[in-house]
Formats: sequence, C-alpha cells, structure tokens
Amino acid sequence: MGEEIDNIENFEAKETSKKIPIGWQLLFWGLILWGIYYFVSYTPAISGWSQGKAYEESIGRGEAVPRP
Amino acid sequence: MSDYQYDNETVKGFIISSIFWGVVGILVGLWISIQMWAPSWNIPPYFTFGRLRVVHTNGLAFGLGIGAIFGICYYITMRLTKRPLLFPKLARFHLYLFNAAIALAALSLFAGMNQSLEYAELEWPLDVGVVILWVIFAVNIFGTIIKRKEEQMYISLWFIIATVITVAVLYIVNNLSIPAGLFKSYHLFAGVNSANVEWWYGHNAVGFIFTTPILAMFYYFLPKSTGIPIYSHRLSIIAFWSLVFAYLWTGAHHLIYTPLPDWIQTLAIVFTIFLIAPSWGSVVNGFYTVGTDWSKMQTNYLTKFFILGITFYGLQTIQGPTQGLRVVSQLIHYTDWVPGHVHMGTMGWVTMTVAASIYYIIPRIYDTEIYSEKIANTHFYLVLIGQLIFSITMWITGIQQGALWKAVNPDGSLKYTFMETLVRNYPFWKMRTVGGVIFTIGMLFFIYNIFMTIRKGKSLAAAKA
Amino acid sequence: MTGEIYRKPVMFAIVATVVILIGTAITMFIPMLTPQMHPRLENLKPFTALQLAGRDIYQREGCNNCHTQTVRPLKTEVMRYGEYSKAGEFAYDHPFLWGSKRTGPDLARVGGKYPDAWHYRHFENPQAFFAESNMPVYEWLKDNKLDPAKIEAHMKALGFPYIPEDIELLKDKTELDALVSYVQVIGASVTKKAVPMATPAVTEKEHISNPFAGDPKAIAAGKNIFAKNCAVCHGENAQGDIGPNLTDKAFLYAEGDVPDDDYFEIINNGTTPGMIEEGRTAKGGMIPFKDTLSKDEIWSVVAYIRSIQGK
Repeated sequence: MGEEIDNIENFEAKETSKKIPIGWQLLFWGLILWGIYYFVSYTPAISGWSQGKAYEESIGRGEAVPRP
Repeated sequence: MSDYQYDNETVKGFIISSIFWGVVGILVGLWISIQMWAPSWNIPPYFTFGRLRVVHTNGLAFGLGIGAIFGICYYITMRLTKRPLLFPKLARFHLYLFNAAIALAALSLFAGMNQSLEYAELEWPLDVGVVILWVIFAVNIFGTIIKRKEEQMYISLWFIIATVITVAVLYIVNNLSIPAGLFKSYHLFAGVNSANVEWWYGHNAVGFIFTTPILAMFYYFLPKSTGIPIYSHRLSIIAFWSLVFAYLWTGAHHLIYTPLPDWIQTLAIVFTIFLIAPSWGSVVNGFYTVGTDWSKMQTNYLTKFFILGITFYGLQTIQGPTQGLRVVSQLIHYTDWVPGHVHMGTMGWVTMTVAASIYYIIPRIYDTEIYSEKIANTHFYLVLIGQLIFSITMWITGIQQGALWKAVNPDGSLKYTFMETLVRNYPFWKMRTVGGVIFTIGMLFFIYNIFMTIRKGKSLAAAKA
Repeated sequence: MTGEIYRKPVMFAIVATVVILIGTAITMFIPMLTPQMHPRLENLKPFTALQLAGRDIYQREGCNNCHTQTVRPLKTEVMRYGEYSKAGEFAYDHPFLWGSKRTGPDLARVGGKYPDAWHYRHFENPQAFFAESNMPVYEWLKDNKLDPAKIEAHMKALGFPYIPEDIELLKDKTELDALVSYVQVIGASVTKKAVPMATPAVTEKEHISNPFAGDPKAIAAGKNIFAKNCAVCHGENAQGDIGPNLTDKAFLYAEGDVPDDDYFEIINNGTTPGMIEEGRTAKGGMIPFKDTLSKDEIWSVVAYIRSIQGK
C-alpha cells in the first residue's frame, strides 16, 4: 500500500474553513450567559445561597433561602 | 512511497503493548463485574474487589490508554512534522520503560500499595517512573516538532502539545506526597484540600488522557481515512482554545455537596456546563465533515468507528456536564450511573477511536491491507452492543438506587434499608457482566484481525526479500 | 485569530500553558493558600498509632472503592447516615477518603455506631449479618500481625504525637484490630457531641401494647426477621452471645418483666452506655433498627421474643 506524505492542505476544507454553524454559535454564547446566571445565583458571597442554608431550609429550620 | 525513515518499530511496539495491557485490564474488569454480584469471586488477599478495581482502572488508563497515546502520537507527530522522531533511541527506551513500569504498577496494586487517590493510586517510586516516562515523551514530541519540516502545525499537534503540558502539571502536583517508607506515602495535602487537588487531577486526567489525545487522533485519522478535509478550521480553533481553557476549572464537580467551599463547586459547575460548547465544536465539525459525503459510512469501514466514536463523545459531553448540576448530582452521585457514564466514554468514544486508528496504522506500517474488513465490522457491532448494554443497565440501576435512597414513607421515615437498595442492583449488575463479555469478544475479534494483518504483512515482506 | 502561533511551537506551548493554568490557579492553588481549605474542628484528634495502622489497611484494601466517607447536606441522606460532613473533620486525613461510589453504605458516621464485637464478626463474615451482602470476607486480616516499627515510621512521617507505649502496644495486635479501631473513630469528632441521645418515642406513662401479641403468623415472621438481623449477636436461639440472652425474663441485666413497648423501644432506638430505661442502666452496644426494620417488623420480633421467653 505504501504511505503517502501528508499534505496539510488536504486536512482543511478550503471553502468552509471559516464557517461556523449558527446553531453551535448560539450554544456557545447561550452557555456563557447561563454560566453567568448560575455563578451569580449560587455563589454565597453574591446571592447568599449556601448548601448548608439550603439544607436547613429543607428540614424546616432557618430562614427560607431564595431559590433562583 | 515515502523517502522519510519514520520510526515505525517504536510505534508498533507501543501499539502491541497497549493491546496486551488492554486485554489484562478488560479481563480484570470482567472479573470485578462478577465480584459485584458474586462475592465468592473475591480471593484474598491479592484479588479482592478493592485491589482489583484499581488494577482495572490503571491497567486500562495507563496500559491501554497511555500506551496507545504514546504510540499513535509518535505516529501522527512524525507524519505531521514530515520527519522521523528526533530521538529514536530514546523512543525505544521509552517503550521498554513503559512496559516495565506498567508491569510493576500492576504488581504493586495487587500487593495493595495504593495512595487511595483515584487514578493516581501508584505509590511514589512508580510516580517517579511515570514522570520520567512523561519527560521522555515530552522531549521527543517537542524536539521533533521544533525540528519539523512542515512549517504549519496541524490541529492534532495542538492537542498533543496541550496533552503533554497538562498531564505533566497534573501528575506532578497531585502526587506530591510525604514518603513514609519505600512503598508507602501520604498525600501532602489533607482533608478538603486533598480532595480539591485530587479531583482537579482526576477530572483533568480524564480530559487530557481520554479527550485531547483522542481528539488529536480523530482530527488526523478522520480526514486521512475518508479523504475528506475537516469542515471548519475556525471552529477547530475556537473549540481547541475554549476546551483547554475551561477544562481545568471543573474538577470540583466530583465534589458537589461535599464540605468543599460552595463557590468552588459553583464555579466548577459553570465551566462544566460550558464545556458542552467546545466538545460539541468537535462533534459538529466531525459530522459536517463526513456530512459532505455520508456514503463513506458504508463504503469505508473506518468511518463508522470514527463517527460512532465522536457521537459517543457528544453524548458523553452532554451527560457528563448534566451530572455536574446540583439537582442531578444529588440523585445520581455515588450510584452506578457514574460507572455507566465513564464506560460510555471509554468503551464508546476512546476504544472506538483508538481501535480505528490502529486499524489505519497497522496495514500502513506493515505495507499491506487489513486482513478482513468483515471481522472489523463484526468487531464494531460487538463492542457497540456490549457497550450499550453496559451503559444502559448502569444508568437504569443508578437512577433506581438514587431514588430508593431518597424514598420516604408517608410518615417521613426512610422507606428502604441500604441492603434493600443494594439487592435491586443485582439483576442489572449481572446484565452488565453480559455486556462486558460481548464487548470482550468484540475486542478479541479486533486483536485477531490486527494479529493476522501483521502476519500477512510479514509474509509479504519475506516474499519480497 | 492570528495564524502565527500555529507556526511557533514554543510560543504555542507557552500560551497553552498560561491558558491551562488560569482555572487551576483560581480553583486550586489560590484556595490552598487560604484558611478555608484548612479548617479543624476543636475536638478533632490526630490518629493514634493503632488507628493509623487501621487507616493504612483501609487504604491498602481499597475500602474507598465501595464506601464513601462524606454525608451530603441532603435531608434523606442525613436521616440515613447522620449529621452531614463538615470541612473541619478531615484535617488529619492524608489523603481524604471520601470515595466516589456507594456500593456499600457511607461510613462517615460509622464510628461508635456498632460495638467492636459487631465489626469483628462482620469483617469475618459479612454474609452472616446480611445474607445478600456483596462485601468480601476480611477474616484473613486476623492472621496478620502489625509491624510496630513500620507504623512508628508512618506516625513520624505525618507528625502525629505518640508515646513509646503506644508503639509497644501494637506488638500483639492484628490487622483486624487496627482496622476496627480505625472504623470506630471515623466521624467521632462530630458524632460525639453533635448527636443528642435518642429521645424515647414512648414515655413510661403511656404504654402501647403489641398489636401482634400472640399472633402465630407474626411470631413466625418475627422468627424469620430475628434469624436475619438479631441472631448474629444474640445467638441462633436467642440464648445470648455478643448481646444478652433473650429467652429469660431479665431486661437490661435485671430480673423483672417489663411491658412490650420497652422491647420495642430498645430495638427501635438501640442503646447507649448509661442510658436509663425502666430504671435500669444500659451498657450500650445495641444497634438501632429503626432504619432497618419497619414498625410492624419490630413488633413481630417482640412477639417472637415473647413466645420463646421462659421456655
């Protein structure tokens, strides 16, 4: 069979090399936005939420923790 | 024919070694899957579940995984740099040292020398050995790339470079320990901190052993075997950088609801979910690439492996991030769902891609054709079915376990004892063993096919001479 | 994005390293330098030589492959295992042994839950307690003597305090002794103070009678439950072994019969040393069965015990 020498040109499509499917772009930016929302909601220093407080609330003790 | 004198012997050596250690790891895996429902299969002291499980995970991650990565990365790097390895003798020494280290590693784990850090169980003398192995690999890869004959570095080389750097940092930091004798050490870090370091390592070892080098193979062998170029170079670039950036934040998703500070857990979840995007960047790129000519799925037996492999990678990288969410984690963490998840990645994505890469490489370096495409197709369907049975049974029983643990009576008391929740796993664990047997038979077909291809190549070469 | 970097491997490697290390620094290296990663509960003690030897065996045998050591702050999990895990409990854990899979139950609160004798017998033959358990047998640990010199070296490596007598003491101990001693200290820094004594569900004034008293069906069911759950400590015929004889009318080591619901109470909640029931003092060691058996099942066992008393 032998072995052909790699030509890097053959690895990358020419016409579509700069195209990024729109669905994927939406996914990318959407996840970043979601990440900001989640970080703000579940970081104790920002939202006051903590897993300890959420536990106290679940057993009916302590103040209700706002559930974003 | 090529004028270049590629160092094929080392590549062959690593591939054959990795297949050997793979067989050992898979057989031990079958054994422990039986121990889960038949405790009499524990043979103390060396062959109890607690010792064998680490032989299974280390054997496959380090023996099969890293062995194949060393061999195939050498193969890819030489071709993309258009030159032989810079230090061929060092590469040969690398191969011998690798096999010695894996053999000693297996023996030490049977003997119970165990740091109790998941995927970093090996005791410190072997850690030193692993670091030496990695340095040799790094020197040869970087040296070869620096002295390359092709100016542009293709994306596979980026993934290989990222792997070399990251695994080095991870392995060295997590294995820092206080030696307490020749075969015993204690993690330098304690408690919560020890947990944070270990899962920073544990998660990223998965990322940079089971993801980035396998993506390097995918991006190289998919265009090579199909003749279709990768759809979007720009997407490859964004996917690469966002993947390697986001990965290292996410280790703490293994520690959801533990005493680890909440903010570290939250940050880990944020980046874990984000990782869906870069992971799917590669998936989308793969689909769009083959999408220009789907008939390759039928006409080219390797395309199936790569496309199913990247599909499982895609499923894996949705399921995994979802598991990181607190609401999901509280149900499925600590259950069999997690081994189900891991095995979709390893048996689906990693093994499919590695096996296809080996199918591509072996005939070329032995200057022949594959022994039998029919056997390769049988192999494909057996490992696919075996893996699906494995993963699906574990997901079902995992959800069941999580739900039974949480179930309460109308008066608020717990509904099930732990034993009652355990015994309901048994039918699924038995089915998992069946899945494992089917997968193993598939792998035996693969090994037979590779072995016969090598034999064919050797007899052809002998006839020519 | 400029394409230059893909032609310069050294530059590429440097940039990649920086990109990779940002997340590492923020989530791992920087927290490590802050006190929140190094908390210690006030009454947490370093491991003794025997306990550390046991922990070494726990690591060697890979117990963490099937047992976790962290209770999550989730309602049903706390109900099942006890107080949720606190960061300060683990200051001496090199490494942490939280595990990642519960093939067996969590062990974060197992210390002091059962008497030593229970653990010895369970390690020797887990299936004697739970016929369908998949835990391997660890009886063989009884045959291995500890190596005091090795354990002393381990204590030194970790900087845990000890006196020569502690090491001297190890000479006659087996690996199983060490393992039991370790298991009994897991979570002790929390359980010893945080969990209040179980308050009796039944007060002395309002006795409840056994709904199944004398019912032959319930007695047969109770006998069955007894064989599976109780016989291992109280003997096959309830003649007494680790736990006391149940065929006599003595209750908590004193003669004189007591109402059925006192039996229910003890089976349901177990005993702690010094606990007072019907004016009698318990020695402790009885395991609570409220998580294992339903109320009807406990009453059936009481009916069975009553049926064999005095025979």
